[in-house]
Amino acid sequence: MSDSATASHDNGHHSLIENNKKLLMWLFLGSDCMFFGTLISTHLIYRKLYPDANNPLEFFDLELTSFSTFILLMSSFLMALAVSAMHKGQIKSFRRNVIGVIFFGLIFLGCQVYEFTHFVHAGLTISTNTFGSTFFVMTGTHGCHVAIGVFWLICMYFYSHTGKMDAHESAVDVEVAGLYWHFVDIVWIVIFTAVYLIEYIPGK
Amino acid sequence: MSEAEYTPLPVSPDTNHSSENEKYHTFVNLALGLAAITGIELVLVYLPFNPIFITTVLVALSIFKFFAVIAWFMHLVYDKLLLTLVFGAGLSIAVGTVIALMCVMSPSHVDFSAIEAF
Repeated sequence: MSDSATASHDNGHHSLIENNKKLLMWLFLGSDCMFFGTLISTHLIYRKLYPDANNPLEFFDLELTSFSTFILLMSSFLMALAVSAMHKGQIKSFRRNVIGVIFFGLIFLGCQVYEFTHFVHAGLTISTNTFGSTFFVMTGTHGCHVAIGVFWLICMYFYSHTGKMDAHESAVDVEVAGLYWHFVDIVWIVIFTAVYLIEYIPGK
Repeated sequence: MSEAEYTPLPVSPDTNHSSENEKYHTFVNLALGLAAITGIELVLVYLPFNPIFITTVLVALSIFKFFAVIAWFMHLVYDKLLLTLVFGAGLSIAVGTVIALMCVMSPSHVDFSAIEAF
């Protein structure tokens, strides 16, 4: 086989792997949609079946949750910039943006830990009633996803210091990590409206 | 500091810098838009409007934010149609499941006496 034919074969092979990585991530995200769909609907159903189980307004802090939402949206923005920087081969810009995403992710997790602690001190635990069970399972699962995303990005950040990254191959890996991070963001967009904001509508 | 930190990475020949720069402006506009919508949502729940109207607007804004992130931040508008179909299939099943569960488990369809007895 000639050199050009070998190079062409290698390029095709790499392209196939890259496409498969993205396809697998999108498949996983599609299945994760079903997972979160059932968690959110379970919470909403039990909220409707047992409206007197708890008054969420006694526990919720809308300012804190809005701040968390804003932080997660901005982390998504930085992640998009990190992916773009990687496509352009700008590793320093990539690192700066990823550090920002990690920082915002940790702030979000901190807010969630604070919120959970506040709920427990106020008398709402996972075993108190149906509201507590569905709320903690749903937001806790989302928090686990955020924690996994933060861990993934920290690994990626340190890997970028090894000098083994190249813009073509690693850009796809960064893009896949970015897809996961953005998914965590869109799940929170739904939770923020369906679980938090709806409770504040007067006379609903 | 290692040399790798200062040396630009080798970029593939098909990388288009101008398209990446265009994306940057799209990302900035989108981030500002999402932040503004979140602010509007926050204000909306305190306004003395009809609850059904507020709920409808909140759901519409939430759906817009959801699909805006998917389309631009997740690059779905720039990627192959297959990826949209794959994710769309999962999302459709998820939405279908949510709607079905909400209908089947509505308070009028649930036998509370059976649950109490259990």
